[in-house]
Amino acid sequence: MLPDIIKFRLEDIINNISDVEIAGLALLDHNLNILWANRTLSSVLKLNYDPVGRSCRDVFNCECKDKNNCTTLKVLSSGNKQHSEIQVNTDKDIRKYLQNTTIPIKDEKGSITHLLKITTDITLKEEKIHQYDLLTNLVVLMQGTLQIDRLLHLILTCVTAGTGLGFNRARLFLLDSGRHTVYGKMAVGPSDITEANKIWNEITNKYEKLEDLIKASENNYRYDSPLHMITRLMAYSLDDENEVIVSCIRKKKVIVERNAFNNPNINKNFVNMIGATEFVCVPLIVRDKVLGVICADNIYSKKPITDEMVMLLSTFANHAALAIENAEAYKSLEKKIVQLKEAQERLVRSEKLAVVGNMASYIAHEIRNPLVTIGGFARSIVREVKDNKAIENSAKIIIDEVNRLEKILAIVMDFSRVAKPVKVKSQVNDILDNTISLMEAYFKNLKIDLVKKYDVMMPDIVIDQDQIRQVFLNMLKNAAESMPNGGKLIIETTSEDEYIKINITDTGEGMDEDTVENIFTPFYTRKKEGTGIGLAVSQKIVDDHEGFIKVKSELNLGTTFSIFLPIQNCMC
Amino acid sequence: MDTILLVEDDKNQILLYEQELAIEGYKVVTACNGIEAIEHARNYNPDLIIMDINMPRMDGIESMCRILSEQRNIPIIINTAYSNYQNNFMTWSADAYIIKSSDLKELKDKIKELLIKKKRKGDDKTV
Repeated sequence: MLPDIIKFRLEDIINNISDVEIAGLALLDHNLNILWANRTLSSVLKLNYDPVGRSCRDVFNCECKDKNNCTTLKVLSSGNKQHSEIQVNTDKDIRKYLQNTTIPIKDEKGSITHLLKITTDITLKEEKIHQYDLLTNLVVLMQGTLQIDRLLHLILTCVTAGTGLGFNRARLFLLDSGRHTVYGKMAVGPSDITEANKIWNEITNKYEKLEDLIKASENNYRYDSPLHMITRLMAYSLDDENEVIVSCIRKKKVIVERNAFNNPNINKNFVNMIGATEFVCVPLIVRDKVLGVICADNIYSKKPITDEMVMLLSTFANHAALAIENAEAYKSLEKKIVQLKEAQERLVRSEKLAVVGNMASYIAHEIRNPLVTIGGFARSIVREVKDNKAIENSAKIIIDEVNRLEKILAIVMDFSRVAKPVKVKSQVNDILDNTISLMEAYFKNLKIDLVKKYDVMMPDIVIDQDQIRQVFLNMLKNAAESMPNGGKLIIETTSEDEYIKINITDTGEGMDEDTVENIFTPFYTRKKEGTGIGLAVSQKIVDDHEGFIKVKSELNLGTTFSIFLPIQNCMC
Repeated sequence: MDTILLVEDDKNQILLYEQELAIEGYKVVTACNGIEAIEHARNYNPDLIIMDINMPRMDGIESMCRILSEQRNIPIIINTAYSNYQNNFMTWSADAYIIKSSDLKELKDKIKELLIKKKRKGDDKTV
């Protein structure tokens, strides 16, 4: 029970707490008219009039519009205290979050005589919750992205999206420790105010959720946008301590520049490139290692960069750095797996070749010995039989067949011991021309049109010319044999990164998947006359040159063999 | 008549070589393994040896080395189905390395050439 002294001196109590700053207070009568209010209420609600004498509905401008949800009415009907939260847009268009608590004041009989409404501003708390939700949301998005370029773009989109951190523009600089520099990698944001307005309108109309925006912008990233291109031109030596980006990296600290145009300590070249006088640079740090810097500004909205925004951006940057490191680790892991797989394939292939080599050698010996006897005696028969043509002819057939077998054995023996390459600096275009000249008559005979598409800038590479010529010969012969009724043979040379590439394309019968898979297996052949060694030898030669061969084939359309040979051999 | 020691473990090949070398006018003595070859080299003092490599009991390379340590002047032709023994430097002490073929022309030519060479050397010494 409330002591009588409080009950009867309510007015005094109210008057005494009227100066309490933390909450807005209003005393309502039974008809929900405001009988009294403290000053804080006016400031919390940003009122420019005296609320006393007005109805609760007008002043709070909120709940009573829907009578079923009006908490003040609920207090009257239930007799119990009620809480509610409302959002209010002030005349400066700043959104505020308010919490209202309505308490019934009852007389001795328990009837409600008045209502006390306590209003507190919970905007700060709500914003923190919103920021926490946002960060969690962004971290989840970043963790789900392992492809490095996608991740970097995602990070910048998060920084600039209105539903994200809400900066106008964001640039990403990455550290290249090897070259001792930091360079502009990517930038997101409009290039001028017109584009900015257009984008903001589009974004607000189209994408409600951050995820949707990211998904849409991922496919639309413009590598030719002026902002991106200018950023790509930016690079600074780590020794240049006066550069803002370098200083941000070296000190591992956030730099907020409020008035760069007038700051004599900042390199004007950088400010001109950035184009904004107020910007923030946040280092991307993971385990004390700096990966780069995010530089963001509000050049179009001119919204000041508040401490809260900087805090949020640097917390976000820590997570972004971790995500980048994860993606880098994943990328190098992926590369290692590919290398391991290739090494394993090479091992299997060389094992296969070694087994085949030993087998070939054994079989060759075992077959060669009886062949010597068979062929040798057949020769003596031919010599001795003078007047029996039939026997002589039969013996001659035996000799021919033995010769054929002995030739095959010689090839098999050669295969089992392909010599180590003797490499010299060579021009592949010349070797190709030389090989083609040997086969021109052959191509003509088969009605094959030859198309040469050489890259005239092909670098010299270090190879065993005889062996590589043998590879080209095998490939060209295969291509020609797949076009018994004529066709087109395209020979193309290009250089790609660390390799030169020779494409040999035919418009022949092509191969099914099963054949393509086995095509380099020794003794695998689809030809009547073939030994099944040509491609296996070619692969071994290319392997010995630390290159590789790729095959693309479609039944009845044709086949392309791509031979890759490393360029760095030149340095040996 | 020059005597040729044929070291070979394949019976049918022995028959072929005996027949073919006889036609060429040589006397042929045969040994079926490396040990027999050493004994025959001592007993028959052949003018030339045709040596197979893969044989039971003792292979042709070891047998050749032992024979050469006793009789340095006997020309030896390695006649084998394997080509890869050419990489073994032990085979380099032979006067010729021939990969077996049903066409014996190369072998016959080599025998003639080495015997002429040997005779020339012998003549030089007697002079």
